[in-house]
Amino acid sequence: MKIPRALLVAAAMMELEARRLRHEHTEVVTRAVQPLLWLLVFGPIMANTRAIPTGGVPYMEFLTPGVVVQSVTFVSIFYGLNIVWEGESGILKRLLSLPIPRFSIVVGRASAAFIRALVQFVVVSTVAAAAGVRLSIDAASLAVSVASIYLLSLGLASLSIFIAAFMKTRERFMGIGQAITMPLWFSSNAIYPTAVMPDVFKIVALANPLTYGVDALRKVLIFHSFDAWLDLAALGVFAAATATLASLNFRRVIQQ
Amino acid sequence: MEAVRTVGLSKTYPGGVRALDGVDLEVEEGRVFAVLGPNGAGKTTLIRILTAQIRPTSGRAYVLGHDVMKEEARVREVVGYVPQEISVWTDLTGYENLLIYAKLYGADRRAVREVLDFMGLGEAADRLVRTYSGGMVRRLEIACALLKRPRVLLLDEPTVGLDPAARRLIWARLLELKKLGTTIFFSTHYMDEAEHYADEVALLNRGRVVARGPVEALRREVGGDAVIAEVDDVVKAAQLARGAGYSAVAEGDRLMVFSASPGEDLPRLLAVFIKGGVAVKRVYVKNATLDDVFMKLVGKPAEGGDLKSAKSVRKAVKRA
Repeated sequence: MKIPRALLVAAAMMELEARRLRHEHTEVVTRAVQPLLWLLVFGPIMANTRAIPTGGVPYMEFLTPGVVVQSVTFVSIFYGLNIVWEGESGILKRLLSLPIPRFSIVVGRASAAFIRALVQFVVVSTVAAAAGVRLSIDAASLAVSVASIYLLSLGLASLSIFIAAFMKTRERFMGIGQAITMPLWFSSNAIYPTAVMPDVFKIVALANPLTYGVDALRKVLIFHSFDAWLDLAALGVFAAATATLASLNFRRVIQQ
Repeated sequence: MEAVRTVGLSKTYPGGVRALDGVDLEVEEGRVFAVLGPNGAGKTTLIRILTAQIRPTSGRAYVLGHDVMKEEARVREVVGYVPQEISVWTDLTGYENLLIYAKLYGADRRAVREVLDFMGLGEAADRLVRTYSGGMVRRLEIACALLKRPRVLLLDEPTVGLDPAARRLIWARLLELKKLGTTIFFSTHYMDEAEHYADEVALLNRGRVVARGPVEALRREVGGDAVIAEVDDVVKAAQLARGAGYSAVAEGDRLMVFSASPGEDLPRLLAVFIKGGVAVKRVYVKNATLDDVFMKLVGKPAEGGDLKSAKSVRKAVKRA
């Protein structure tokens, strides 16, 4: 009975996040500013240099999945902040007193990040499409995209919950969040292919979960290819590993 | 069966802070039980152990016979818990908060309307919690805890930072729950609240129970009850009282006459004064309070002025 219960908890947490977003639209707008700068300012300028090998597509098309993943990363990592906040307030204490396994609480809270990630995906791809980027938006491509975004946001949010457990103040967490997100993005294939990287960074990119998220989205949305199973598997391993780590470490959050 | 039973319950946090130090308690089902003590006495730790959130270092604790260490899942099924800090999402409406908690509990959707009405929040249900008063937030939090109809409701400082009207409103609902058979276990540092509403109290200080029992019994133990009379001639009145076999102390124009049952001694003393020609301006009974009990047992008032209490006041202000 544990698995259906965990799904119910995750569904309730996602509904919570969707309802919060419905009451508070401004965050959707402010969260959209940074990715749109990359897409509408950085993208066209880099495209003019023609310096980056893109595999035969315009640079803007190459870049769009990278920007989607960047904003997914941002919202997911900073989701751990909510856990710190909930630790301060009584919400986490109350969640712990409910008849729900700890693992479900972690996966549920992390899944809620997916709702915010999904909104980012919609905003960025709509703007990209308006700017002339051609995206495959058939059902199958969307399904693979949504699945990759789910696994990536679940994994990153779990990672941030894991790290948040060591942070007792909001300020400290904000600093750590900044220190993680940008290096993750720059060491992935988001704005340039791994082929142009020095060898050391190629290895870093291979260990970087963002690389697999970008690769999956790029294949299905831009290159009309469904050869993304390896990417999905890598993202699945990443999500399972971080969710387990976060659950095991949850005691730290509880004991404060 | 007891609603709550602890035996030698101790908790030492990883940092070395000893929050509980051998706590023994028994709470009968259907009672209102108060854990009273200054900030840092261990009240929150005790409640968090009883709701199976954290584990004790040693000793045992049972809720309705279920061991909090071995049967955590059973314990979580029967308890309702309201933490001291805000435990609802302020950027949702009251109804939405209950809806989400109902889904997390696996509770019936119909229960949402029931608890809203029971806690008197029916009209505010569709407003964002951000716009609620402190008392309304508290009532919503209690409503959330009631979704699963808990047999034991544990509340950590349920009325901290609320004005007297809001406190009364909350207690009216809690006493209604008691009538329905729910055991109410709460912590507080308001002595008067424990006196008014609790059937039984435990005084906690530095992780130890320093006294426990019905409020009346604890008061009697201190023996601080007295009849106080404002008279025109204190010296003569004191002589008369002592002549009648009482011990009496004069304080300005007031005479304090110690008595085990001041209600009965008051008319007797009055008759003695009138017969002796002393004019009585005012006369009243002073009952020993739990504050007096605490003073006597611990040697300092229950409401300390340390940093930690300043923090909890700040929390309370945030709520209001």
